[in-house]
Amino acid sequence: MDTQQEPRKTFVVPIGPQHPALKEPGHFEITVDGEIVTAATVRLGYVHRGIEKGVEQRNWAQAMYMLERICGICSHVHATAYALGVEALAGVQAPPRAQAIRVLVAELERVHSHLLWLGVAAHEGGFDTLFMYSWRDREMIMDVLEGLTGNRVNYSCNVLGGVKFDVDDTQADAIRRAVDFLEPRTHHYLKVVTTDETLIGRTRNVGKMTFLEAETLGTVGPTARASGVPRDIRVDSPYAAYPDFPVKTITATAGDLEAKFVVRIQELFESYRVIREILDKLPAGDLAVRVKPRVPPGETVSRVEAPRGELFYFLKSAGGPNPDRVKVRTPSLCNWGSVLATAPGHKLADVPMLIAGIDPCFSCNDRLVTVRRRSTAETWTWAKLRQYGIEYYR
Amino acid sequence: MDLEQTVVAAETLLKPFTVGAPSREVSRIDVVIRRADLPAAVKALVDARWGYLAAITGLDHPWPKPKPGAKPAEPPAEPVGPIEDRLEALYQFVNGALVATLRVSVTYHDARVPSICSIIPSATLYERELHEMFGIIVEGTPDTGRLLLPDDWPDHTYPLRKSFKGLNRAV
Repeated sequence: MDTQQEPRKTFVVPIGPQHPALKEPGHFEITVDGEIVTAATVRLGYVHRGIEKGVEQRNWAQAMYMLERICGICSHVHATAYALGVEALAGVQAPPRAQAIRVLVAELERVHSHLLWLGVAAHEGGFDTLFMYSWRDREMIMDVLEGLTGNRVNYSCNVLGGVKFDVDDTQADAIRRAVDFLEPRTHHYLKVVTTDETLIGRTRNVGKMTFLEAETLGTVGPTARASGVPRDIRVDSPYAAYPDFPVKTITATAGDLEAKFVVRIQELFESYRVIREILDKLPAGDLAVRVKPRVPPGETVSRVEAPRGELFYFLKSAGGPNPDRVKVRTPSLCNWGSVLATAPGHKLADVPMLIAGIDPCFSCNDRLVTVRRRSTAETWTWAKLRQYGIEYYR
Repeated sequence: MDLEQTVVAAETLLKPFTVGAPSREVSRIDVVIRRADLPAAVKALVDARWGYLAAITGLDHPWPKPKPGAKPAEPPAEPVGPIEDRLEALYQFVNGALVATLRVSVTYHDARVPSICSIIPSATLYERELHEMFGIIVEGTPDTGRLLLPDDWPDHTYPLRKSFKGLNRAV
C-alpha cells in the first residue's frame, strides 16, 4: 500500500503512438491539472531506422540515396546537404547551372512543404476548408515536381558533383504557370489567417515564445523566425546558388501561432520570387562534374535551410570508398524543446495546434524523452484530442 | 559582425581552454579541449551569447588495423596520438556562417564526459543520443532513459561504434 503523501492530483493524457489521424508515430504524455497543461513529454523513436550506421556500410554515392529517404517531405535538402559536403571534401564544385537547379528544386520543395503545413495546421484547428484548398493548390507544385524529376517525393535530383536533369523551356513555363496561379492564392491565405475570427481565436497569443526563449531553446527555421530570431542558413551562410539568388529573411515579432502562420506564408512569396528569378537567369553550362569514388580524408560540416529550419550534416572521410561518419541533425529535433517548454499553462485543447505549430517531422528527428509520473491514465487517440480541441472552442 | 570578427571572438573566448593550436577552415574552427574544461568552455560561449549549440557529434577512432603480415601492435594503456584508439565528442556551436567545434577525447575504458545540461538545458537530447550510440557516459545528465533504441536493446551495445557489426540474435 502506498503510504507516501500524494502530491496534488494530476491527470496524464497519453496520446499515441499509433493513431489514425496523425500520420506518423509519436507518443505524447500531457499532464493536466483540470483543464490546464502542467507538463508535456514526448517519446519518439518509433521510426528510427539506423540510417547513420547504414551509410557507413555503403559507398559515397549510395549513401546519398539512403539519406534522401530520411524525410519524405524535405528529401531534396538532405541530398543537397550531403552532396555539398562530399563535394567540399572532394575539393570539387558543382557547376553554376547545377547549383541553380538545386536551389530551384529546394524552393519548390519549400513551397510544397509550407502549403502542406498550412493544411495540416488548419485541419488541427478544425478549419477543414482551408486544409482542402491549400492541399488542392499544393497539387500544382507536386505536378511541377513530378514533371521535372519524375517523382512526387524523393526527387533524386542530386548526384555527387551536380544534378541529374536539366530544366527545359516547357518545364520552365509549367513552373511559371504554377507560381502565377499560387501567388494570388497565397495572398488570399495570408488574409484568411490574419482576419478569420475563428482561426485567430485558436492562434493569436497562443503558444507565445519570446525572442529570448526562442534563442536559448535553440529553435531554428520558421519557429525561431516567428519570434524574431533571424536564423536562416540561406542568408547566414549562403550555399549552392544562394549567393547569386539571395533571399530575404522573413521574421515576425509576436512569437505566437499566428506569427508562425504569417512567417511561413510570407516565405512563400520569397520562394516564388526566387523561383522566377532562377528560371529567368538560369546559368548555362554543364550539369555535373566528376567526383572520384574515393573521397580524400577530412571532415566537414554542411548546413542548409530545410523548410523546417537548419539541417546540419557532419561528414568524415577516412579516404575510403565509404563515409567514415555521417551525423545528421534535423531541424525538428531543435524545435521539439519549444513545444515542451511552451505547452505548460495552455489549455489541453490548444495542444494539437502547439504541436502542429513547429511543423514536426517524426521520421526526421525520431528521438526523445518520457517522464512517467504515477497517476491515473486514460489513452486518447490523436483524433479524440483534435476533436476535443475543436469542440472546446466551438 | 563579419566572419573574421566572429572567429576572433570565439578564439578569445576559448583560448583559456584550448589544448594546442586550433585548426581552421574558411567557416570552421576546431579547438581541442580537456574533458574537465568542457563545462567552463561551453559556459564562456553561452555567457557571451556566441551562437547556439547545433549538435553533439560522437566519433569512434578505433586503433588502426595492423597491415597484413605485420605483428599486431598492442594498444597502449594510455592513448598516444591525438585521435587513435579513443572516442571523441564534438560540441558544434554555430554563429552565422561559422561553426566552432569543441573536441573532447576520451578513452574506451574511461568514456565519460561532464553534462552541459545545467548550462544548455536543450542539450539533454544530444547527450542521451551520445550515450546510446557511442557509450560515452554523460555524468550528471538529467535523463538517462532510452531515447532512440528499442526498449529491448541489449545493454552496453553501442551501435555507432565501429566494433558494432550487428546483433547476433537467435532468429
